[in-house]
Amino acid sequence: MAVRLDYVLKETGSNLARNFTLTFAAILTVAVSLALVAASFLIGQGINNSFLGLRSDVQLFIYMNPGATADQIQSVKKELDRSAQVKEVDFYDQERSFEEFKRLFKEQPDLVATITPADLPQSFRIKPTSSDADVVSALGDSLKSKEGVLRVEYAAEYARQVQRSVRTLNTWVLIVGAVLIGASVLLIFNTIRTAVFARRREIEVMRLVGASNWFIRLPFVVEGLVHGLLGALLAALGAWGFDALWKRNFVNQVAFELLNQIRWDSGQLWQAIAIIFAVGALTGAVGSGIAVSRFLRI
Amino acid sequence: MIKLENVTKVYKGEMVALREASVDIDKGEFVFLVGPSGSGKSTFLRLLNREERPEQGKIFVAGKDIAELPGYKVPYLRRNIGSIFQDFKLLPSKTVSENVAFALEAIGRPRSAIREAVPQILDLVGLGKKANNMPDELSGGEQQRVSIARAFVNRPLILLADEPTGNLDPATSVGIMKLLDRINRTGTTVVMATHDRGIVDTMRRRVIELDRGRIVRDQARGVYE
Repeated sequence: MAVRLDYVLKETGSNLARNFTLTFAAILTVAVSLALVAASFLIGQGINNSFLGLRSDVQLFIYMNPGATADQIQSVKKELDRSAQVKEVDFYDQERSFEEFKRLFKEQPDLVATITPADLPQSFRIKPTSSDADVVSALGDSLKSKEGVLRVEYAAEYARQVQRSVRTLNTWVLIVGAVLIGASVLLIFNTIRTAVFARRREIEVMRLVGASNWFIRLPFVVEGLVHGLLGALLAALGAWGFDALWKRNFVNQVAFELLNQIRWDSGQLWQAIAIIFAVGALTGAVGSGIAVSRFLRI
Repeated sequence: MIKLENVTKVYKGEMVALREASVDIDKGEFVFLVGPSGSGKSTFLRLLNREERPEQGKIFVAGKDIAELPGYKVPYLRRNIGSIFQDFKLLPSKTVSENVAFALEAIGRPRSAIREAVPQILDLVGLGKKANNMPDELSGGEQQRVSIARAFVNRPLILLADEPTGNLDPATSVGIMKLLDRINRTGTTVVMATHDRGIVDTMRRRVIELDRGRIVRDQARGVYE
């Protein structure tokens, strides 16, 4: 037997209005927790997008002259392959460097348009067997003077530390977000319990005359879902605002030399918003689902 | 229509509400359940619409053992059983006709069918003119008529009545009993728990007497004691 849509909407609407204060608290908590989760997701994506090469254990970059010959490149490669200090070596030719460049600057198409693969140096990315600074710099020094080498760069310990701190901070944001989601589930659970209690006479009569379980339960489950989705809507606005603020205050500010590396593109913003709505709906459904199955037994 | 075989119901593991009860009630019968408070009358009724499950024994309603009925089928059982109570259980925020319509809405009847059935049943119980009144504007007897209308609007096979005249004065009770008698004459099986000696002695229907959970008397055309 189908449950009539207008009935469900009417019942849900009157429940939402009846419990305004509780509903409001539940929606706000959902919104704050989801906004934190979204911010954490965006920063996490930003960290992955940033600090070229730092996400792996590449510690040494050898840039070749743009005009370096194939022989010179081959000779550096041989030297690296022979070295006992090198664990892994990865060669970026101009095409591959250009791909990486396009990925890193895809929010700035103007810049990408002015660059061709020929403008970019070829490079070796090296993972040493030991992360000991002396070993790494000795390895770099031995290669610096080779024919065709433009320069040697070391992954800065400083950048690494900033990245680590941002990541730790971000983990805490996610933990707080997760705890608040737990609180949201409990709040929605309580709101639905109150709604069930407020309508206990109707529910008693419905049971007596043989209303099906879902007919009785659906308006309450929908109510919880609405809590989750309204909270998600607010959180999506929050994420959008966070995105704008971050771009204005960090990404486009030269002064924040490392924080301005943490950036994400609009696709990742949409992903964050999709996560907000999915988690919001789930939070509402779980909270009301538990309440309904505990308080609306046959 | 209703058959109990050695039914035992125990509350909280100690209080025996019904002990090895066996009863056979035919379609269209009118049965009074009598006995002191706590003798098991309400439990008897609550077992019939699966508000409670027995610890032992079988309960057949319309040929099915409802003790074994899976939960999701219970609503469909209850659509064949109307229930009325001493306290009417009307919804105070709904009018008389909305209260009756609610019973049909809750089982998903189409609106057109509801619009047709509600005035009909209100006429049958004699409340056609009070369709738009609120329950608190009605007398006790009138409220009980509304609850009978709600229980009967779906034309159930069985009507369970738990002391329906318990809150009413004798004159009003007679009116309610006439209404239940009329419903019974349409072929509906009526099982009514009562303390009302006058009613039982006047109607002279089948009487089942319970005492501390045991059936101590089952008498056709019986009296209260």
